[in-house]
Amino acid sequence: MADGQRSEHESFDRRLVRKSPWIFHFNSGGCNGCDIEFVAALTPLYDVERLGAKLVASPKHADVLVVTGPVTLQVAKSLKLIYDQMPEPKYVIAIGTCACSGGIFSGGYTVLGGVEKVIPVTICVPGCPPNPKEIFRALEAIYKGEIKVAGGGCGEEQNRG
Amino acid sequence: MGRSRIEDKAYTEPHSIVEVASKTLSSYPHLISVTAVHDEKEKSIELIYTFSDFRGALKNISTRIPEDKKTLPSIASVAPAASIYEQEVSELFGVTFDGNPFTGKRVLLPDCFPNNAHPLLRNVKQEDLEKVVAGCMLGEPQIYVTGSSRYSAESVILLPFGPYHPALKEPERFILVLEGETIVDVIPKIGHVHRGIEKIAEGRTFLQDLFLVERICGICSFIHSWIFTLAVEELLNVKPSKKAEYLRTVIAELERIHSHVLWIGLLGYWTGFESMFMWIWRLREKIMSLLDLLTGNRVHKSFIAFGGVRKDVSDEKLNTVAKTIAEFEKDYKKLIDEIMSYEPLVERIKGIGMYNAEHAIRLGAVGPIIRATGVPYDMRKVEPYGVYDEIDFNVVTGKGGDVFNVTMVRIKEVLESINIIRQCIEKMPRNENPVPKTLVSGVVKEGEVVARTEAPRGELFYYVKAANSRNPHRVKIRTPTLANILLAADILKGYTLSDVPVIITSIDPCFSCMDRVLVVDKNRNNVFFVDFNKLRKESRRAR
Repeated sequence: MADGQRSEHESFDRRLVRKSPWIFHFNSGGCNGCDIEFVAALTPLYDVERLGAKLVASPKHADVLVVTGPVTLQVAKSLKLIYDQMPEPKYVIAIGTCACSGGIFSGGYTVLGGVEKVIPVTICVPGCPPNPKEIFRALEAIYKGEIKVAGGGCGEEQNRG
Repeated sequence: MGRSRIEDKAYTEPHSIVEVASKTLSSYPHLISVTAVHDEKEKSIELIYTFSDFRGALKNISTRIPEDKKTLPSIASVAPAASIYEQEVSELFGVTFDGNPFTGKRVLLPDCFPNNAHPLLRNVKQEDLEKVVAGCMLGEPQIYVTGSSRYSAESVILLPFGPYHPALKEPERFILVLEGETIVDVIPKIGHVHRGIEKIAEGRTFLQDLFLVERICGICSFIHSWIFTLAVEELLNVKPSKKAEYLRTVIAELERIHSHVLWIGLLGYWTGFESMFMWIWRLREKIMSLLDLLTGNRVHKSFIAFGGVRKDVSDEKLNTVAKTIAEFEKDYKKLIDEIMSYEPLVERIKGIGMYNAEHAIRLGAVGPIIRATGVPYDMRKVEPYGVYDEIDFNVVTGKGGDVFNVTMVRIKEVLESINIIRQCIEKMPRNENPVPKTLVSGVVKEGEVVARTEAPRGELFYYVKAANSRNPHRVKIRTPTLANILLAADILKGYTLSDVPVIITSIDPCFSCMDRVLVVDKNRNNVFFVDFNKLRKESRRAR
C-alpha cells in the first residue's frame, strides 16, 4: 500500500499508537515457552524496544496485547476483562500455535482453544514457540503501519499489508 | 537407573494407611507423590504412596478403595506435604480424604467446572468433557472474597496478588492477608494454567505423548521428554547407545544453564535492577544458540527418541559447543563477580525468606531449595541416569535457607553444568550411531514404572502404567514446583509486602508445570466464592 493511501485510511490516534506500541503480556495458560521467547525479544539481542515498544504493567496503559498459550476455562474471563480495559485503538498478537488454535492441547477438558474464541486477534504468530525474530517482525508490522484492521483473525493473509 | 519397575508394592488396608505411613516416614522421610489409578474392570481405585529416603531407595505403599465408596483417611497429619497431593487426587478422581485441610475446596479445576465431574476417571469420556467445556463459557467475572471470621476487619487488609501481576510471568492468584505491612497469611488460588495433560496423554499413543509431555513446560522441556523416555524404555526393555546418553546429558545440562541463568536475570528484574536482567539475558542467548545448533530448536527441542536421539550431532558442532561454552564461562564469571559485589543487591536478598532443613523436609521441598539448606539431595548423584555416574561433578549446597543462599546455589550449579558438558564432550564416543532404527510406537506390554530425574527446579517424578495397549493407561506427573509451593507460601508469613515477589519467585516457580496437576496451601478454611451480582447486591445493602 502506498503511503498516501495509508494516511487517508489511518486514523490519527492509530498513527500515534504505532510509533510507540506499549505492550501488555498475557499468559492465557501456556507452557512458558512463548513467554520466555517473548521476553527474549525484549532483551538486547533482538530488542523490540528500539521500535518504541515497552512492557507495561497495566492493560490500561497498553496498545498491544500479547497473548501466549491456549485459553483455559479459568482465564477466559480474565482475558476478556483485560481486553476490555485496553483503550482503543488496540492490537492483539497471538504468539505460538497454542494461542492461534489451541495447538497440541486441543481437546483437553479445561482448554477452550485459540485466543480467537474469546477476543478478536490482529496478528497470529504460529510456531512452537516462534523465534524472537518472528515476534519482532509482528511488532515491526504494526510499527510500519502494515496492519490495517484489528480482528482479522488467524490464517488470513490479507491482514499483512 | 533413574527409573525402576514397581514390583514390590506393600499392600495395606485403607483404614490403616495413616499408621503405615507414619511408620514408613521414620525410615523414608520424603513423600514424593500420591498417585491414583482407576481400574474400571475391577471397579476400584488404587492409591500408590511413594516415599523415598535421601539416598536413592524408594518405598511404594498401595491401597485399594471401591469405586462406589471413595473415602479413606488423610495422611496429612503425619506428612504435611501430602495435603496438596491428596487434594489433587480428590479433585481429579473424586476421592474423599478424611482430615485433609482442603476438603470441600476447589483448587485446581476451573470455577465453572461441575462438582460431580472427575475428569481422570477412566469411564469419563472425552466427549462428555467437551460438553462440560462448552457449558463452561464466558459469564460474569468472579470475585474472590475471603471470610472475615478469623481476622477482625479493622486490623487486616486482604490484598490480591495476581493472577496477572507484573512480577509473575504466569497467572496465579495469591490473596495476602496483611496486618499493617506484615503478611500473616497467604491463600493461593491456583489452576489458571491447568490444561488436563494427564487426561490428554491417556488418549494418545506413547509416541505422541513424548511431544505432549515436552510441552508441559517451556523452560525445562527436555527433562520432561527425557524422563518419559526413561520410563517407556524401561517398559519396552530398550537401551540407548552410549553416544545417545552423552548427547542427552549435554542437552539437559545446557537446559539447566539456560533455566538458571534466566532465573538469575529475573532476580534482577524483581529486585528493581533492570540492567542486570538485560546483561544476563544477553549472555543467555549464547546458550540458546547452542541449543538451536544441536537440536534445531531453541525451546521445545523434540530431540529425544525411545532408544536414542532423533539425529546425530557432528564433531564440528560439538567443537563449537566446547568453544562457546568456554567463552560463556569467562563472561559469566566476570558478570556474576560484578553483580554479587553490588552491595544493595546482596543486602536486598540476604536474610529474606529464611527456612531450615527440617522445615524444608517436612513440607517436601526439592531441588536448589532443599540444597540451599545443606541437604545434598540431587537425583543426578542419588540415582544417576544418563551418564552422570561416569562424570566427576559436585552437588552444590548452601549454608542455610534464604533467597541469597538459593541464588548462590543456582549460580554455582551453572558452573558445575559447564564442567559436566566439557567432560561429556571429551568422553563422548565419536563413532557410534545414536539414532534408533525405528521410532517405536505400538503395543506396550503391561507394567508400571516410576522414574525420577533432576530437573532445573528439582526432583521430577513420573509414574507410567501400560496395559497392553498403544496408549498409556495412566501417566502421573509430579513436578518440583508443586513440591516447593507449600514451603514458599509458608515462609512468606512474617515478611513484608515488598518481599513477596522475591520470596515467591525464589523457588523459581513454574506454574505451567504445576498446574497440570493441582496445587495449594493449607490455610484456606475461610475462602469462598461470590459471583459478581451477589457482591453488587451485598454492597448495595451495605450502603
